[in-house]
Amino acid sequence: MTTGVEFLPCIVAFCCVHSAYQAADAAGRMRIPYPENIIMVHIPCAGRVDTLHILRAFENGADGVVILACHEGACHHILGNIRAKERVERANALLREIGVDGRRVEMRTCAPNDGSRFARVCHELEEKIKELGPSPLRKHA
Amino acid sequence: MDEVKIGVFICNCGDTISKSVDLLDIRARLEKLADVALVSIGHDLCSPQAQQAIRKDIIDNGINRVVIAACSPQLYGDALANLVEKAGLNRHLLSVANIREQCSWVHPDKDKATKKAMVQIRMAVDKVRLQDVVEQAEVEVYKDVLVIGGGIVGMEVAIELSNLNLRTTLIEKEANLGGRLKQFAALYPLQVTPEEMLTSRLKQVTGSENIDALTSAGLKDLSGEVGNFTAKIRKGNEEISRNFGAIILATGYETLFLDKVYGFELGDNIITQSQLEGMLKSPGEIKKIPQSVGFVFDICDEHSRISTPSTLRNALVIKERFGSEVYVLCRNLQVDGAGLEKLYQDVRNKGVIFFKFERFPKVLRENGKINIQVEDLSMAREQVMLSCDLLVVEEKVVPHQDFATLESMLNIGLGPRDFYQEDNVHLYPTSSTKSGIFFAGNCHQDLDLGRALTDASNAASEAYQLISSGKMRVEVERVVVDPDKCALCLTCLRFCPHDAIRIDYEKKTAHILDLACQGCGICAAVCPAKAIKFKDWSDDQILAELEVV
Amino acid sequence: MVNKSVLVLGGGIAGVASSLRLAVNGFKVYLVEREPTIGGAALFFCCKATEACNQCSVCLVPEKIAEVKAQPQISLLTNSQVAEISGQVGDFSVRLIQRPRFVDPEKCTACGVCAELCPSQPNKAIYLPSPQALPYAYAIDKNNCLHFNGVECNICSQECPFGAIDFDRSPEKIELSVDAIIIATGFDVFNAKEKGCLGYGRYTNVLTGLDLERKFSTQGSITLPSSGKAPQNVAFIQCVGSRDVHIGNGYCSQICCKYAMRFAKLLQYQHPETKITIFYMDLQTAGKGFGEFYQQCKETIRFVRGIPVEISEISPDELEVKYEDFIEGKVAKEIFDLVILSVGITPRKDSSNIARILGINLGEWGFFDTQDHLDSTETNVEGIFVAGTCHGPKDIPESIAHGAQAASKVIQTLAARGI
Repeated sequence: MTTGVEFLPCIVAFCCVHSAYQAADAAGRMRIPYPENIIMVHIPCAGRVDTLHILRAFENGADGVVILACHEGACHHILGNIRAKERVERANALLREIGVDGRRVEMRTCAPNDGSRFARVCHELEEKIKELGPSPLRKHA
Repeated sequence: MDEVKIGVFICNCGDTISKSVDLLDIRARLEKLADVALVSIGHDLCSPQAQQAIRKDIIDNGINRVVIAACSPQLYGDALANLVEKAGLNRHLLSVANIREQCSWVHPDKDKATKKAMVQIRMAVDKVRLQDVVEQAEVEVYKDVLVIGGGIVGMEVAIELSNLNLRTTLIEKEANLGGRLKQFAALYPLQVTPEEMLTSRLKQVTGSENIDALTSAGLKDLSGEVGNFTAKIRKGNEEISRNFGAIILATGYETLFLDKVYGFELGDNIITQSQLEGMLKSPGEIKKIPQSVGFVFDICDEHSRISTPSTLRNALVIKERFGSEVYVLCRNLQVDGAGLEKLYQDVRNKGVIFFKFERFPKVLRENGKINIQVEDLSMAREQVMLSCDLLVVEEKVVPHQDFATLESMLNIGLGPRDFYQEDNVHLYPTSSTKSGIFFAGNCHQDLDLGRALTDASNAASEAYQLISSGKMRVEVERVVVDPDKCALCLTCLRFCPHDAIRIDYEKKTAHILDLACQGCGICAAVCPAKAIKFKDWSDDQILAELEVV
Repeated sequence: MVNKSVLVLGGGIAGVASSLRLAVNGFKVYLVEREPTIGGAALFFCCKATEACNQCSVCLVPEKIAEVKAQPQISLLTNSQVAEISGQVGDFSVRLIQRPRFVDPEKCTACGVCAELCPSQPNKAIYLPSPQALPYAYAIDKNNCLHFNGVECNICSQECPFGAIDFDRSPEKIELSVDAIIIATGFDVFNAKEKGCLGYGRYTNVLTGLDLERKFSTQGSITLPSSGKAPQNVAFIQCVGSRDVHIGNGYCSQICCKYAMRFAKLLQYQHPETKITIFYMDLQTAGKGFGEFYQQCKETIRFVRGIPVEISEISPDELEVKYEDFIEGKVAKEIFDLVILSVGITPRKDSSNIARILGINLGEWGFFDTQDHLDSTETNVEGIFVAGTCHGPKDIPESIAHGAQAASKVIQTLAARGI
């Protein structure tokens, strides 16, 4: 893999409009930079994300997937974030079955007004995926 | 379906976005995308002139889907949807790519920012291509409110609704209205007495044409949804069926003495707060005036807003009425309510002695006396022995026994300690998880009297806000179930957090109640048959967006 | 539409809640705020969630502000103050003074070009009041601006792509006629310097709860002001300026125990090895779900009964806290590297002025008084109501509830009088 060119991971982030989407706005308004290779897919609630969506992202070549949801106990739809967590776990198990590191998919939380946390989470994700290297499912490695 | 023609309108925000994003390059690439009929770059799309121009462009070019790449939809989302509507399109046929807050402001590198902006706009194009129309409609709703519980909070709710000209049915399971207020000996720090407060409220309830108070009555069955509930109410042997637009629960709380926690049983000289209140209320029951009285709390209900105020005011009543020695033993005084710190100081100045403990004091019964051994924290934990004629212990505040029945009848969530309402900031102060059902008072959180009345007012005005016009706006069939795919597995029904799904056994399909649906999309995600389509966030749309990866 | 109008004085969370409740029910609302943005004190507070939401409710503020933006029935009058009020319920005449913002919020898109170019040092004279501000537009701080301080600087007005900046504006008088008035002027934070023995303002590493809010909301974390390192041994001191009759504050501020514990948890979430001690008088742990949160706190936080009387600085990183140890029955001394004073809520300094203009009563501690001493909202003047912390300490959900209650009382009063 080490071709001398820096590995730029492609990360898909499912962002809940009640929290992460607004937190990304807040980060923008505070001009806090974060990695641009995070593809943000907006969703009405973390509970909308299906295992299918997570797996499709990997199929399409993503190196990592994250669901950015409201904090536990702050979901506008009560258990949407808990449901999402269950699906992350299911996707995780399915990935491991086919030999992909389960750490590539995870669930993180942030508040709508917490721009700095959003940026910090994005940096941490990029770091983590960089350590794991490109996804073995990537079409064009 | 007509040919899809997508118009992409890019805002340069006063030529600031082009500093970090190559908009010309983006335009060239967008023009090559399928179905994109028009790409235009504007100086500032939020100005009225620009909006006029967009409208004209949409109409002139026969655009039937719109993508706007500009600042956050949080800022102008509504205005843009209105704009699309004015141009003759359904307001859902719009997708906004946030290339300012989420791109040009955070990615200083022009190449990378341009790449990301392109991804964002492409996702918006792919999404809007598959967007279905969602129409809006107005639905008639009932302007009557059902209030369950005729204590002070329920009465207050009914009175406020009556002042707001809404009709209310107030049901109380006991024979008289008033609830716990009937037992209280005083309402310190308020100057008003419980009798005065009760009389004035009763007068308002009985004097109002808008309030139908049914005592010895209970809810037997409930069906329907927000705006259109049907309740079966049992009063004696009668059964009454009525329609309501909203329901407010004000069922209060119960108290329970936990002998296991205390390690002793109640008796003649060890009584609970409520027993004491009963005695103070009917002085005939007091055979011998106690020379010394001890109060102990923070044992079984450490975080209660009820025990501190009731202890303080009963201690004051005893001190003033009998002049007894009064000791109060507790861990923490909960003085975070209006006037409570002042009341505490007053009670102390009247000679009531307070002991704060870390460890539970020992209680010994001896020759009709109660001896309490407590360590005095202000004196290097020296053991102090207090002798009392009467010991008053706190009770635990617990949910009503009929909570569980009501909960399953109404299908609303229970929160910590089995009180109503989940522990979620977005539901505070009075919303339930289910649209059209509200909570007031101590049935859903721990409140002192002042807070409970504020809560009552809130519940009343939320119900008023919802149904007072007699109409509700609704998005029609925003989420739909495909009857051919639905296997009646009930998964969606179980997962819906807002109780917005019903089963139509005749048509053999689940269906979504438009008024009750709050648009989370959980049902669409859990449906094993993929029979549920959320038109703004359908599976096809999300998967199409993921094609940019 | 009901063709009635209400003046809401103060754009903090309580005033916003009042305005929304009125507007949704068809009332015309004039929301008057003296700062350039609505949102009040809580707009500058931070989220205190760890992995779980700790129910601080600060995120409700931007949520409510967004609702105001979408509400055409509310007219925002920022930078404005009340000068005179006359009349009675159903017919109040109000005169306001609006100080110039020098930036037209209708034209400004907050693109930020002006602030990039502003030569003022160290603080830019043209600034966005908050990332969540409403109106979401820049404003000029006259004291900082070169243009207003004898320098021929017009950079921002020349470079603004929207021509939104105009220096030649003077204060304007606004006359309004309204049916009712809600006062929601909020609170002042207790000035910790009044407690000189605790060393606030003298010792670098003594901060207040408010300082912590600001630091977390702008930086997302906290470091020692003296060295920039992460704090290792932190003390919170409760009841600073509350429950203290000697300084005229004989009430519990109701918010401090909760924010202290939430901050403590947040600090340990970011740096699990941080040791935290909370010095208290009585812990206020009532409230929905808070008892359970306190039980979790007890596992990792040390709670000490007793309020320290004195702090001395041994070195910038070492603060000696002297307190009465009830357990041992002696005066104890302990070293911390960071001390947080949990300052409470006090009445606004200009309360007496507003009370005079409106003819309403002040209560014992200087908050606006209500008729029956309940958490009610009616003042002694019919048609004038109070909402939120200007009536007494309240947390965010309670302020929202109280604001909505005041609005509901306005609707009821006007309905009863047939106005």
